[in-house]
Amino acid sequence: MHRVKKLASLLALALLLTAGAAFGQADFSKYVAFGDSLTAGFSSAALLETYQANSYPALLARQFGISGFQQPLVTAPGIGGTPGVGVFTLARLVPTPVIAPTPGQGVPKNLTLPRPYDNLGVPGATVHDLLTTKFGGFHNLVLRNTDPNQAFTALQEGLSLRPTFVTLWIGNNDALGAATAGTDQLLTPLASFEADYRAIAGAIAASGAKMAIATIPDVTTIPFVTTLTRFIINPATGQPVLLGGNPVPLIGTQPGDFVLLSATSAEALGFGIPTALGGNGMPLPGSVVLTAAEAANIRTRVNQYNAVIQAVASERGAALVDANAALTELATTGVDVGGIIYTSAFLKGGVFSYDGVHPTRFGYAFLANLFIDAINAKFGTDVEEVNLFPFVFGQSSAASSSVQVTADDSEAGPPFVFTDEARRSLLTSLSVPKAYIDGTPPVQAPKPKPRGHGGRKG
Amino acid sequence: MQRRGGMTWRVLGAVVALGALAAVPMHAAGFGIFEQGTKATGMGGAFTAQADDPSALFYNAGGLAFVTKIDGSIGFTYIHDTKAHLTGANPFPGDGYMADQKKLSAFPPHAYYVQPINSTWKFGIGIETPFGLTTQWQNPHDFAGRFLSTKASLDAFDVNPTIAWQVTPNLGIGIGGIARISDVELDRDVPVNNPFTQSIVSGASVKLKGDFKEGYGFNAGLLYKATPDFSLGLSYRSKITVNYTGNARLTPISTGNAQLDAAIAASLPLNTNLPVKTSIDFPAMASLGVAYSFTPSFLVEVDANWTGWSSFKELPITFTGGPTNSLPSSVIPQGWKDVYNYRLGLRWQANPISQWRLGYVYDQTPQPEVVVNPLLPDADRSGYSIGYGYSGGWKADFALMYLPFKDRTRSHSLPGDGPFFGTYQTTAWLLGVTFTF
Repeated sequence: MHRVKKLASLLALALLLTAGAAFGQADFSKYVAFGDSLTAGFSSAALLETYQANSYPALLARQFGISGFQQPLVTAPGIGGTPGVGVFTLARLVPTPVIAPTPGQGVPKNLTLPRPYDNLGVPGATVHDLLTTKFGGFHNLVLRNTDPNQAFTALQEGLSLRPTFVTLWIGNNDALGAATAGTDQLLTPLASFEADYRAIAGAIAASGAKMAIATIPDVTTIPFVTTLTRFIINPATGQPVLLGGNPVPLIGTQPGDFVLLSATSAEALGFGIPTALGGNGMPLPGSVVLTAAEAANIRTRVNQYNAVIQAVASERGAALVDANAALTELATTGVDVGGIIYTSAFLKGGVFSYDGVHPTRFGYAFLANLFIDAINAKFGTDVEEVNLFPFVFGQSSAASSSVQVTADDSEAGPPFVFTDEARRSLLTSLSVPKAYIDGTPPVQAPKPKPRGHGGRKG
Repeated sequence: MQRRGGMTWRVLGAVVALGALAAVPMHAAGFGIFEQGTKATGMGGAFTAQADDPSALFYNAGGLAFVTKIDGSIGFTYIHDTKAHLTGANPFPGDGYMADQKKLSAFPPHAYYVQPINSTWKFGIGIETPFGLTTQWQNPHDFAGRFLSTKASLDAFDVNPTIAWQVTPNLGIGIGGIARISDVELDRDVPVNNPFTQSIVSGASVKLKGDFKEGYGFNAGLLYKATPDFSLGLSYRSKITVNYTGNARLTPISTGNAQLDAAIAASLPLNTNLPVKTSIDFPAMASLGVAYSFTPSFLVEVDANWTGWSSFKELPITFTGGPTNSLPSSVIPQGWKDVYNYRLGLRWQANPISQWRLGYVYDQTPQPEVVVNPLLPDADRSGYSIGYGYSGGWKADFALMYLPFKDRTRSHSLPGDGPFFGTYQTTAWLLGVTFTF
C-alpha cells in the first residue's frame, strides 16, 4: 500500500514535470484580450473583418493553438468613428497623397454569439472605460449590453469567461486623444490612471489568469504627429516653398511644434498660409498643432503611465511587452525584417495604416511577435512566432479604391490630403470629445497661441 | 627547354583570362577553394608534407626546393552543386518557405611552372584561384531574401612567383610574393512599401560591382624530409586586403502601379552609376602536415590547417557620390572566426605508372550563425575524395571529391539585425584534372 502510494506520487511528479516542460508556466487553453482599438485590430480608422482577422489577439490565439477565438467582426467597408464612414483608403499617391474614407458602413457579423467575445478590445476605450464603461461608442458593438440593469464592463465580461491567460494593453487612449487633438488637456491624470490600472490588474490576478501586459507607446512618434513639417510645401514638388530664399513656416506654428496630419484639411482652406501665397493669412487652429510644450507634457505623462505599468507587471508576475520601446525603434532606427527596414514613416514605412495612428496588418503581426517573445521569456513557454511572410508580401484586401477625390494642386497647399470627414471619423474613434473635434475650421477661429517658448499650461 | 617555357607562358596567359571569367562557388569553408592541384585533391588536400609536384607553389613552397627539372602543369577543378536549398523558419521567411540557388558549374583553374636555377636554388610561378564565391538565387525577384542578396560573386586569382632554397639535401624552404587580382559583385533588390496594397514589393534591383583590383601578400613554406620515410611540412600564406572601387546601379522594377512607379522614380537615383567602395580582407592560411611511408608504395599524410578568417570582420559598402549620387552606406557585419580543418590522405603506388589516392577532409565553417544569410550561407562540411595519377609517356592526375555540407540553421540575429531564419542544405561534387608537361 505504502509502495503504491509512493509510486503514485512519483508518477504524479513525473506528469507534472512533463507538463511543465511542454507548456512552461502558462496555460493558454482559455485566452481573453482586454484593450482598445489596437487590441480590436482597428486599422485605417475602422473595424473591418479583414483586419480584425489578423488582430494581434487573433494571431496570438492561433499561435496558442486555440480554435474558435471570437471577435466582433464587421463586414466591409467597416465601421469607423462616425456613422456612414468606413475604412480609409489611399485614393491617390502622386502628386499629393489623398487619404479618404470609404463611404458606407459595415454590418456586425457575430452579434448573436451567446457569450462574451474573447477579444474585448474596444476602440476608444481608456483605462477608466475598461473598468467602468458599459455603453456608448464601440462599447455597444463589443459588449452588446442592452439592459442597463444587466450590463457589464469589458473587464467583467472577459473574466466571466474564466480565462487562463489574459493580455492587457490599455491606456493608449489616455494619451492618444491628447496627441491627435493637439491638446495636453485630454491627458488622463496620473493618479486616476494608476488607481484604475491597479484595479484592473488586481481583478485579473484575482481570477488566477496569467497575464501579458503592454506599455504605451510614445504617441508623439506616430505618423499622425510626425509626417508634416511646419513649413509650407509645394505639393507639386514636395519641396518647401521659398520666400526670399527661406522656407515659410505655417502661420500659428513655432519651432519644435508638430503639425498634425489633420492640419491638411485646414491648410486646404487657406489656414496657416500667408495671403501672399494664396492662403487666408490666419493661423492654423490649435487643434491641428501639437506644440513642443504639449508634446513634452504628453511624453512625460506616457513615461509616468509606463512606470505604473512596469511596476504592476512586476508585482503581478506578468510578462511585460514593451510596445513603447518597439515603437521608438520603429521611429528611430527602424526594424529590419529580411533586409526590409520597417519604420514609422507614413505610407512608406509599412507599419502604420492610412489613419497614421493604427498599424497595418504587418504592424499587428509584428506586435503579436512582441507579445510572443515577452510571453516565452517570462513563462518559459515555447510559443512559435507568427510567420510574417504573408504580412510582408501578402495583398491587403483594403487595396486602392475607386473613391474620387479632387485635390487642389495650387502652389501652396497641403502636402497631403487627409479629408475633414476622415479627421472627424478618426478622432471620434479615439474618443476625442466632440467639442475638440468641432473646434476646428471652418467653424471656428483658432485658439490663441503664445509667442516664443513655454507653451500653454496644461 | 626555351620552347617549352614559352608555351607554358602562353598557357598561363590563357589561365589568367579564364580565372578572370570563372565564377566560383565556395568550396573550402568560408569562400576559400583549397583545390589547387589535382594530386592533392585526391588526398583530401593533405599535401603539405609531400608537395612533390608543381602545385607545391600553392600547398608548400618548401617543396619547390626539391625540384630537379623544369615542369609545367595546368588544370582545373570542376565544381558542381547538386543541392543548394533553403527551408525557411518563423518569423521570416517563415515555415514552409523554400528556395533554391542556381546550381552553378564552375572551373577554377590552376597553372604552375617550376625550374631549377642551380642545384640549390629553384624558381617557380603559379596562377591559383584560392578564393571565390558565387551565390545566386533562382527567380531572384520573387526570392524572399532578395533584399539581402540575389547574387554574390567574387572572383580572385593569385599570381604567385616563388623562389626556394634547398638548404640541405633534406630541408627546403621557399618564399613567394602573391599578387591577388579580384573583383566582386553584389546584387539585391530595393524594398518598397506599396502603400496601396500595404505590402512589400521590389522597387528596383541594385547591382554593385567592384572592378578588378589588386592586393599583395606573400607565402612561405618549409619541407623537411627527416628520413626517407618521414617528412614534415609547414606552409603559410598571408592575409591580403583588396580595396575595390566601382559603381552601383539601380534598375527600376515596375510595381504594376503607375503612381507608385512615379513615386519610386522621384525618390531613388535610378539608372545612374553611383560610385562605391568596398574591401575584403582575405584570410591568412597556415598548414602543418606530416607524411609517413609505411612501405615504399604506401604513404599516409595528416594535415592540420588554420585559416585566419577573423580578418573578415565586415563588408563595408561605402557610397562616395555625395548627397545626390548615393545610396545610404552600410556595413554588413561578418564577425568570422579563425578555424581549423583536418585532412587525411593515403596514396598507393600500384605500379610505376599508376598511383591511387584516397582522402578525407573535415572543414569547419568560420561563419557565426547570426550572420548566415542568403549572401553567403556557409556550413561545416566533410569531403571524401578518390584520385588517380598516371605517369606513363604523359602525366595526368584525376580526382573526384564528394562534399556534403552539414545542415546550417539560423534562428538568431545580431541586435538590430532582423530575422532571415531557416536551414540551408548544400551538396557538391568536385572533379579535378591536372596535366603536367
